[in-house]
Amino acid sequence: MTQHTVTATPATSPLRLIAQITRPQVYVSLLALSLILLIPLGSGSPFLIHVFVTICVFAALSTAWNIVGGFAGQLSLGHMMFYGIGAYTTALLIQHFSLTPWIGMWIGAILAALVGVVIGYPSFRLRGPFFSLSTIAFLEVIRLLAIHFNGFTGGSAGLIVPLKIGWAWMVFSDKANYLYIAFGLLLVTIAVSLIISKSRLGYYLIAVREREEAALAAGIDNTKVKLQAVIISAMLTAFVGSFHAMYLTFLEPATMFSLGTSIEVAMFSLIGGLGTVAGPLLGTVLVVPLAELARGWLGASANGLHGFVYGTVLVLITLTLPAGLVGTFGPMVGRLVDKLPGGGRRPEERAAPALRKLEGPKGEPILVTKDLVMKFGGLTATEDVSITLRRAEILGIIGPNGAGKTTLFNLISGFLKPTSGTVAVVGPKGAMISPTTPDGFARAGVGRTFQIVQPFGRLTVLENIMIGAFLRHPGVQDARAVALRVAQTVGLFDVKDVEARNLPIGGLKRLEVARTLASEPEILLLDEVMAGQNQKDTMGMVELIRSIRDTGVTVIAIEHNMHAIMSLSDRIVVIDSGRVIAEGDPNEVVRNRKVIEAYLGEDYVDAQGL
Amino acid sequence: MEVFLQLLINGIMLGSMYAIISVGLTLIFGVVRVVNFAHGELLMVGMYAVYLLFLKFGIHPYIAALPVVVLLFLIGVLIQRFIIQPLLNADEHIQIFATVGLSTALVNLALMVFGADLYSVNAPDVRRSLEFGSFRVLIGQIVMLGSAIALVIGLHAFMQKTTLGRAIRATAQNRNAALLMGVKVDRIYVISFGLGAACVGLASALISPLFPATPTVGTYFVLTAFVVVVLGGMRSMYGAFFGAMIIGLVDSLSAYYIAPDLKEVVYFAIFILILIFKPTGLFGLGRGTE
Amino acid sequence: MKLLMKAALAAGLAMSATSAIAQVKIGALYPFSGGLALLGDESFRGLELATEERNAAGGLNGKKLEIVKGDAVDPNQAVGEARRLTSVDKVAVVFGTYSSSLSLAATQVTELAGIPYFELGAISDPITERGFKNLFRSNPTAKDFAASMVDGIAEAIAPALGVDAKSLKVAIIHEDSLYGQTVAGYQSARAKEKGVNVVETLPYSAKTVDLTPVILRLKSAGVDVVLQTAYQNDAVLFFRQAKEQGFKPKAVMGAGGGYSLRETAQAVGYENIEGALDVDFTQYKTNPAAAPGIGDFVTKYKAKYGMEPRSGHSLANYVGAKVFFDAMASAKDLSAPAIRESVLKIDMPIGSTASGWGMKFNDAGQNTRVKPFLMQWQGGELVTVFPANAAVAKMKTGLGQN
Repeated sequence: MTQHTVTATPATSPLRLIAQITRPQVYVSLLALSLILLIPLGSGSPFLIHVFVTICVFAALSTAWNIVGGFAGQLSLGHMMFYGIGAYTTALLIQHFSLTPWIGMWIGAILAALVGVVIGYPSFRLRGPFFSLSTIAFLEVIRLLAIHFNGFTGGSAGLIVPLKIGWAWMVFSDKANYLYIAFGLLLVTIAVSLIISKSRLGYYLIAVREREEAALAAGIDNTKVKLQAVIISAMLTAFVGSFHAMYLTFLEPATMFSLGTSIEVAMFSLIGGLGTVAGPLLGTVLVVPLAELARGWLGASANGLHGFVYGTVLVLITLTLPAGLVGTFGPMVGRLVDKLPGGGRRPEERAAPALRKLEGPKGEPILVTKDLVMKFGGLTATEDVSITLRRAEILGIIGPNGAGKTTLFNLISGFLKPTSGTVAVVGPKGAMISPTTPDGFARAGVGRTFQIVQPFGRLTVLENIMIGAFLRHPGVQDARAVALRVAQTVGLFDVKDVEARNLPIGGLKRLEVARTLASEPEILLLDEVMAGQNQKDTMGMVELIRSIRDTGVTVIAIEHNMHAIMSLSDRIVVIDSGRVIAEGDPNEVVRNRKVIEAYLGEDYVDAQGL
Repeated sequence: MEVFLQLLINGIMLGSMYAIISVGLTLIFGVVRVVNFAHGELLMVGMYAVYLLFLKFGIHPYIAALPVVVLLFLIGVLIQRFIIQPLLNADEHIQIFATVGLSTALVNLALMVFGADLYSVNAPDVRRSLEFGSFRVLIGQIVMLGSAIALVIGLHAFMQKTTLGRAIRATAQNRNAALLMGVKVDRIYVISFGLGAACVGLASALISPLFPATPTVGTYFVLTAFVVVVLGGMRSMYGAFFGAMIIGLVDSLSAYYIAPDLKEVVYFAIFILILIFKPTGLFGLGRGTE
Repeated sequence: MKLLMKAALAAGLAMSATSAIAQVKIGALYPFSGGLALLGDESFRGLELATEERNAAGGLNGKKLEIVKGDAVDPNQAVGEARRLTSVDKVAVVFGTYSSSLSLAATQVTELAGIPYFELGAISDPITERGFKNLFRSNPTAKDFAASMVDGIAEAIAPALGVDAKSLKVAIIHEDSLYGQTVAGYQSARAKEKGVNVVETLPYSAKTVDLTPVILRLKSAGVDVVLQTAYQNDAVLFFRQAKEQGFKPKAVMGAGGGYSLRETAQAVGYENIEGALDVDFTQYKTNPAAAPGIGDFVTKYKAKYGMEPRSGHSLANYVGAKVFFDAMASAKDLSAPAIRESVLKIDMPIGSTASGWGMKFNDAGQNTRVKPFLMQWQGGELVTVFPANAAVAKMKTGLGQN
């Protein structure tokens, strides 16, 4: 496990950042970006400058949208509300307080972030299309209110930005200045998007998008990361709105809170590639000039043709290129670029940080449930379950199908709230605590796997494991190193770069264990991890679990493979119909009459005369 | 008091219009699990079809209902077969974009063919108002209310009594189980989308005499229809019907007592609150009541 | 920096002036596509006819006028197209725009570029209230519309009804986009000023599917005169649902928009819209004595486009363009200051143009001699009924054929 150890300078060193420029991905991207500035400036044509300002504005809007819509997978179709809030705040502050837009735009951004939180917090509970519908509804409400309170906003008649010229007022006669600011905004937005995608937040957002439950189990506070995404996205969108208002010098609710533009901005991301850094920019660069040209060719002659083509192309893209340009052609272009001078380098490996030290005397109660009851409607799934888990033991839980084993797991990992009774685990300071959320349990050191595997399908095996590793190691490099170590341990190293959805079931089961293990839990809950494994792998898994226990981790395992569980467990709890019917040493438990009854039925027991 | 009662009557009539539009949307969402953002445009297509039949052949809109229902059924079948079906296993994002794209394309197609002007079907018999004491109701509105009730009851009976209906219900409740039981799920989806669109066809025939057709007419109704569907619990016909009645009443009363330009704010606020606090809909009919 | 800029600007202007030896390029900025396209195109036809007429008569001091079109569908497009016209095509002046929000956005560009902008059809007042030097508007504004409507109550409606204007209960209802909100705002102000008894002011969305509650409010308030600012859909709804609810005000008056369109009348039914009043740009059933040349315009329009004019927008644009061409011809050169000087010298009395408007521009660039006429739907035609010299028919009272 030490073969990946190579000494490396810390990732944050500025020298190292500058050294990045020799990488082809970096210099090709920078060159391409600079064209957005150089083409219009070179031509000197105010019209071309306008087209490129528009490109910068929409690319920045789309990139900002992509943080919520792509990374976090929350398809907002009301994003122009943040744009409008930024624009109106800035313009109103100029009008009433002669406040320079450079300060006003920050106030607008803060306001947009607040609105984002107020709207996002309740709406994030909604799935898929209903989230989209609620964002549309919010956008409409804000637009209608902006029209209704015309004394304040100027209403539909609009708000005119006074033509006070100069940098202080962000209004210029020399149009090139607009381009500088628009380009700067675009760079900032892309930089933020890039940083997020390379950071823990980026991985977390994708995890939440792919599987909310598994993300919770990895200790991710789903709502918190989504709110972070919304705050960042709303602020960036508001900045662009503020600038664009200064550029247009005229604001009206119909333009500033437009549903059509909201959809368009999302569409640029879709065409370019949802959830990628370059996608939104690419989509915009492609579509805006095309739309501009199409309007020239088609607009006057056939009213509606332009929109018809637009809509049709959108449908065709969803049917043929659902991953967008970057998703479809990205890897190919990436390989080509990598062949340029300076390419082909792999990221340097680094030593994995030390394992978390697990302290506390062996055998102390580490997880205690008291009189747990769980009722679903009229059905009682768990009845008065009181068990005590002791540090560094392996506790096996067995019982017939439908006995309530998984329900019990859900209760002691926070995925279900008990109807009555309590669950307590040892907290960081040795006192018993009772977390209330799944991610709270994960942070308290309770790691769980899922009986029905929950991989993050679009991420590679290594990235899946990293999601777990982030819980104790926020740095990407550290998390990667930890994940590599875990992959080695669990036997997934050879497939570490495979997308998780392509793994066979046995591999997915191990991936469940690996992801949980990477979060360095104190208590490991394993739900039927041996199912779907061949004989050899089962033996390997038994060995693995033992070695995990030897590092001081406490294990609870649900298992149907009797042979494995009996040989593995220090202690067995038998559950039937939601109740604990037997508890103790494996050898004693198998001879218990109630246990045999539960598995084989009373008749069998009687017939055998046991 | 008299005004209040007139507003109530007006609200119920408005509600029956929303109901008849929303039933199809509910059916499509309940079975295919796709939110059809192009639903309003189906209505628009239907209204232009009714108009053309009226203009070219002088067919009364109520008689035109028959061919238009068939036409919309076919359009629905084509949409499901060629746009939704290939995307069934794709992300919800992609499905949303596909129907949004379809909606944009249809609005602009209408703009190309018919221009931005409004077209109106002239059916004075339908627009005659009946007076009950001091209260007034249009014949067309009464027909609409009757049709909405008949449609909901009829669809319910169809779902309960016929083999096809039971297959649709089975598919709606559990796609995989239905597959295992030998139901041709893809065909059920195509039929369900077609039926949903056909309901819109009926709606367009009933609305045409009361409301002029424009390329964007669908957008006037579609957001309201979404509100209704969510209010009714998203998959329940009866839920949609009563949700529509509530929105109709809210629309009518808030326009009078609050302000006509804020009535949308009122029902969008209700919509947001329902989505957030009672996602199974106002009547808790969120599951298995098809 | 500033000096350099000014020099560059001056050079640019000089270039555009000298390069146009054989011809003068003029920009035409209208919404040619999108939702506003129909009336945007109708407006453009007026400019096109005026240009052809001018060219046929020898052009601008011997130089032919050449139109360069710019298609603006939204404010961002309007800014872009204005930039293109002024910088790429180097037009001498720009004409436009039909829509007020497009005009507001585009004129910010031309003003900074120092290119004269001639507004021929957008009615929002703030367009000429920003202190711009190179912006001139020939058409009446929302304030003029509102004034004509409110004053019409006392000057035309009350006498026709034979009652005291102060006894009439008036309601202002309007759709809540830029158009409706602007006109209604000035109506309220004017009504206050004139002591008109306004009992209800109700905004609503133009996309509404039901105006019954609005009508019930008017009915319970016992409204006599309704002033509505509406597009097509809401105008149709109002007339239909007023009839259905048995609401019969003594007069209904619209501010152009949906009220001036034949399709509205057809959708409502001629028998139902009979008697509805309308204040708008001059329409074609107007006494030629008050609008000399209006008949010629219709003849020319029909010859070129093979149809009747679709609305008064073409006439308004035609009249404005002709006047500004004259001003350009008499300016010493086509620089912005020279054109401004020449435009401010224009002095044409009311009743001297084909739309009946006079022309006299104030310092802000606004034509002060325009007052829209009052028209009325009679027998399926929109005829001018007030003032008396422009009228072709006598004003009727009441709404609908009973």
